[in-house]
Amino acid sequence: MSTSSPERGALQNKSALLVGVGGLGCPAALALVEAGVGRLVLCDDDRVEESNLHRQILFSEADVGHDKLVAAERALYRAGARPGSIELVHSRLLPENARALVRGVDVVLEGADNFATKFLCADACFLEQRSVVHGAAVRLCATVLCVAAIGAPCYRCLFEDLPTGASPNCAEAGVLGPVVGFAGALMADRALSVLLGDNSVYGALVSYDAKADRARELQLLARAHCALCSSERSIDRITYDRYTAPSCAA
Amino acid sequence: MATVRIPTPLRVLTGGEDQVQASGDTVKDVIEALEKNHPGMRERLLDDKGVRRFVNIYVGDEDIRFLDGLATPLKSTDEISIVPAIAGG
Repeated sequence: MSTSSPERGALQNKSALLVGVGGLGCPAALALVEAGVGRLVLCDDDRVEESNLHRQILFSEADVGHDKLVAAERALYRAGARPGSIELVHSRLLPENARALVRGVDVVLEGADNFATKFLCADACFLEQRSVVHGAAVRLCATVLCVAAIGAPCYRCLFEDLPTGASPNCAEAGVLGPVVGFAGALMADRALSVLLGDNSVYGALVSYDAKADRARELQLLARAHCALCSSERSIDRITYDRYTAPSCAA
Repeated sequence: MATVRIPTPLRVLTGGEDQVQASGDTVKDVIEALEKNHPGMRERLLDDKGVRRFVNIYVGDEDIRFLDGLATPLKSTDEISIVPAIAGG
């Protein structure tokens, strides 16, 4: 998605929430600022660690130990964000704040490092009728899924519920910097498409394998009995007990 | 033999290989063949109800949920992709 002058004008009136300002959120935020998105809301509660620096491109050694959002805000203003266009939410996305946060923006980019937040974000976005771009990366692979405000398909159409027991994803932590760079940039690209009214990106799951240097796009189908977005849905509110599986900061 | 693309989280079971060959007339057969050569694979992909809910299996570009599930027939030229839920970045 490239942005022309009229599109940049349209984007000035648009807003985006970034859930997680890490390896995915940093390049995504930078791309959204450069594209001219008018308001960015950054949601995170971490501090910058030295181990973040190889992939979280908004931060430098001088930021280590400091509040991640303050450092990100500073970097984004340096990159040209319009004064006052960055809002900081010093918290994780939580059951008590999720719906209000997603309701306040036009599109959500979810780059969380744990499944509980991913499902919470998916549920909150559907309940508040907001489009969301989910991103994830582990070692050499990454996935990006763009979900329409009405779902069908949604994240729960792809993965029904939080992993329990022998999860295949928690085994080997670690992420290669360029992999999250690719995925974060693609998340921003999909978010810009949403903001500019391009419906073709909905339901598209991109899987990127850095070892094979191959990206593949699959068009998902809605799950007939999806608990979130089907006519038989059972999730009609956010409750704590639904998001209690162990986290996996891969 | 079908080609099975192995996602990063499961490569610990394949000695780091990102794709392996496995024979079988159906997806279930291929998973059993994988289990034979790469013990632990079955448990990572299946539970007592079938494919684990945080795993998706594709034959070509088709999700087997929308084909015949584990009974989906395979050709020797088919490529199977496993897409697990991942969190991280």
